[in-house]
Amino acid sequence: MKDIFKPLAVAAAVLAMPAAAVAEGWTPPGPITMMIGFAAGGGADTQARLVAQGLEAKYGWKVLPQQVDGNSGLNLVAELVNAPTDGTAIGMVVSESLTYSMMAAGNPDLQIDKFTALATTASFQTGLVAMAEGNFNTWDKVAAAAKAGEQIRFGTASDRQADVAYLFGKAAGIDFNIVPVKGGAGVMNGLRGGDLDIGWVAGAQSKPVTQGEMVNIASAIPAKLKDSPDAPLVTDLGSKYVLDGYFMFVAPGNMDPEARKALGDAIRDVLNDPTTEANGLVTKVFGGPDVITGEALDAKMSEMNTAAATMLKDAESN
Amino acid sequence: MHRNTADLALGLCVVVLALLAIFAWVPNDTATGIIQKIRGRQSIGDAMAPTLAALLIGLSGLLITLESRRKSAQEGPHVSLFNLGFLAILTGIFLASVLLMRWSGPLLVGLFGPEGAVYRDLRDTMPWKLSGFVIGGTFLVGGLISLMQRRVSWTAVCVGLLTAGLLIAVFDLPFSDILLPPNGDL
Amino acid sequence: MSEVLNYIWLGVLAVFTGPDLFSLFGIGIPVAPIMVLGGLLTGIAVGATPGLAGPMAMAISLPILISIFGFTPDALLPVFGFLIGIMKGATVGGAVPAILFNMPGTPDALMTTLDGYPMAQSGQPRRALRIAQLSSVTGDTFSDIVLFVCAPFLAVVVEAYLDLPEKTALLILSITFIAAVMGSSVGKGLLAVGLGLLASFVGTGQSLTPRLTFGVPELSGGFPLVAAILGVLIVGEIFKGIEDLVRGGNSGRKGAQTLAEGVKDRLQPGDIRRIAPYVGRSALIGTIIGALPGVGSTLAATLGYSYATRRHKARKQPEDTAFGAGAPEGIAATEAANSAVSGANLIPVLSLGIPGNAAAVFLILAADSIGGFNPGPAVFRFTTPEVNPELVIAFGIFTLMSIGNLLNWLIGGSFMRSMGVLARIPQHILLPVVLLITLTAIYVQETSLFALWVTFGFGILGYLFRRSDIPVLPFVIAFILAQPLEQTAREAFAATGANPWFLFSSVTSAVFMLASLAAVVLLGRNRM
Repeated sequence: MKDIFKPLAVAAAVLAMPAAAVAEGWTPPGPITMMIGFAAGGGADTQARLVAQGLEAKYGWKVLPQQVDGNSGLNLVAELVNAPTDGTAIGMVVSESLTYSMMAAGNPDLQIDKFTALATTASFQTGLVAMAEGNFNTWDKVAAAAKAGEQIRFGTASDRQADVAYLFGKAAGIDFNIVPVKGGAGVMNGLRGGDLDIGWVAGAQSKPVTQGEMVNIASAIPAKLKDSPDAPLVTDLGSKYVLDGYFMFVAPGNMDPEARKALGDAIRDVLNDPTTEANGLVTKVFGGPDVITGEALDAKMSEMNTAAATMLKDAESN
Repeated sequence: MHRNTADLALGLCVVVLALLAIFAWVPNDTATGIIQKIRGRQSIGDAMAPTLAALLIGLSGLLITLESRRKSAQEGPHVSLFNLGFLAILTGIFLASVLLMRWSGPLLVGLFGPEGAVYRDLRDTMPWKLSGFVIGGTFLVGGLISLMQRRVSWTAVCVGLLTAGLLIAVFDLPFSDILLPPNGDL
Repeated sequence: MSEVLNYIWLGVLAVFTGPDLFSLFGIGIPVAPIMVLGGLLTGIAVGATPGLAGPMAMAISLPILISIFGFTPDALLPVFGFLIGIMKGATVGGAVPAILFNMPGTPDALMTTLDGYPMAQSGQPRRALRIAQLSSVTGDTFSDIVLFVCAPFLAVVVEAYLDLPEKTALLILSITFIAAVMGSSVGKGLLAVGLGLLASFVGTGQSLTPRLTFGVPELSGGFPLVAAILGVLIVGEIFKGIEDLVRGGNSGRKGAQTLAEGVKDRLQPGDIRRIAPYVGRSALIGTIIGALPGVGSTLAATLGYSYATRRHKARKQPEDTAFGAGAPEGIAATEAANSAVSGANLIPVLSLGIPGNAAAVFLILAADSIGGFNPGPAVFRFTTPEVNPELVIAFGIFTLMSIGNLLNWLIGGSFMRSMGVLARIPQHILLPVVLLITLTAIYVQETSLFALWVTFGFGILGYLFRRSDIPVLPFVIAFILAQPLEQTAREAFAATGANPWFLFSSVTSAVFMLASLAAVVLLGRNRM
């Protein structure tokens, strides 16, 4: 029974290699609290816990995972912003929480400059999804039905997704009934039960799409989707905005630069090492690791923040 | 006419509280109204559900008031002064236990810990990490047993220690990631 | 049809080919069935201990189980196995102190004392326990079979014919029905429901600024589910028990009674034939009662016993023992009825996501904590070729229940007889110990002292409910259903293009709404 003894095995591994961390130049002064901004048991939560396990096994650091989920990651950042800056408090969220959601919530104490981005882990594969056998399995059918006066139910899992859906509809001349649901799983359940017609899903649709139950009728990222290379980009269909983003680790602002570099590098090593379970999961569920750290990450965050600001302004003026 | 005064008081209290919720609490503590229209989408706002729940509570208060007419004054249990006194003592014991759980560890580290150490960095190190739980937990169990027996006894303390020890054996020894109180709050 | 059989087979496989606990002679022993056994024995022991009950044991074991098995979908079946074991064991175990000491271990065993204790007094405690066990397991098994057949069917119907507005109306109907039917008055039932809804709305909501938090940042995620539920359900009960002991002082137990000598103490020839019709009748009553959310096993036991009394009077032979004097039929009728509630009670929770009793509440809590399984109509989707993992889990749960029944038949009886000793644990030690265990269990899951204060606060609330004769279960059920209800309503409103009358836009939903009104008015008038 592997699962029972896993914690014991990890503990043993930690005891067996106390010197490994010293070689890296930086060690955390105490156990690291890893806050997880996702509901327990889902793919994102498992990803974070496996990274924690990888860090313990590879570096001998003690990592204590803690669930702080809800409110689009804003509950987590509100708790993280006051945590120590010595590298003993990190959190996992999606990039959208740090950019769009913070901006839309409008709390001056919780903005992107109050945080240090550590490392991304995987990128979104957001698609516009519909049932493969349904009436809306291509964009042309959606557009034609809308033109014929049919009401189309569009499932969205966050405010940002709802805004993009609204602006997309505006640009395409369609007045969607935008239905806010709980997470990508909520969108897919709605599609299956016939409660929704189409909806955004940020990567969890991979399995149903490859098995032929659902289709990506369009890609909502600035590139072709890995599972559906033939699907058009939403930007080609008239949308001015995309729904790109990352799963990522974040720490409080003004962090010790040495700690930032060490943590970022450590997360990268765990995710890019094909022998770790974290790598296995991210490859299977999220289309493979996509790790950005340091200054490249700062540049990426600032780019996404600007895009979010433009989109929000456009949505509000409508 | 007979009336059950306890139920009558309960019903009236509930109605007043419901009115307060509908007109003071919910409108002032929700960001969006009953129905909202933001960024082009019309949707149910955050105030809708709580307002309906408070209406239901108000309605239940009216029903309880009505029902109180049909019961005799003695019928049915109600909250007495004795009950409130008990709750006050209970709250005192609970408060003391939580404070002991939270601060015993930092205090002991400050008194006897390594030079310059802080409890947060020792929250995964024996024996410091268990000190707050053992002291606070023993106080809670021992205090309640003493309250029921109306005297402080060594048996009560021992039962408390044993329970804390049992919980440590169940949660702390086998699982390296599990945090006992107060180690998740640091 | 073949896909249904295929899914059933996958469910059975999931139980028996899950992770192995250890291997014996090269054959792996799967962990899930072992967990059922462990849960069953725990449940019998807990049911046999007055002051403890099935829900308490489920509450305490849940975080331990989650710690052991982790937050992966692999954890679902072993955890459910243990919880189901407790549920089944506690129903049987409750009869032990009722029969041996005239002290019901669980509230629904009250009627068991009427004939069980006299039979034990007349020197046949083993015979009484055996009859209780046989009737209990039969009732339970019957009820489970009804569940296996009805839950998938009901779920498929709901999913196929109900759109978002109708689903909203159905949730409203369930909640009002529970409010109207539980507790001493409709007013108090509605109060419990209203407070449960309002408490659940704190901190949640769709806006990025959390609602109703009084500016307390810890509340921005809402009251933690486990803290609120265990607070009202378990901690409130403990507080009440402590106060009773503070007031009464003495927590002594009755001593063992002297038994009559020279009486044959085992199942008598003809007992089975004698009790069979009573068991059958009671099993049916219990199952029907159980299928309605919120109607408890105590009512089923009462109904089963009173129907049996009437029948017994009509057909009594002169040599038969009268009801109340140790009649085997009396024990059988009660135990079959209260046990038959437990399986059918899972019909609304598995097919609609609506918990009808405390045990179902804990199954929802487990599913919510672990993730990967959301009880509701979406579970019973027979997809091909993609396997619907939730459906496999559902059939896995059915398999676990069948295993539980089988084990209950085989070893429940002998284990039960050894549990009499547990009735002697003094309450003044038991209650504080259970309190610390519960608080620790909550902390382990929520890792914040704030959650302990929430638990304490809800414990006080639960205590006040009990002292004011307000039922606690409608509060808990409303707390659980509040968010699905609000979410479905939001979806329905948005999906219908912001139609304010969406609840009355179709015949089905209008009928549901009328039925909820009728439930309050009719059931209310009966009790006033």
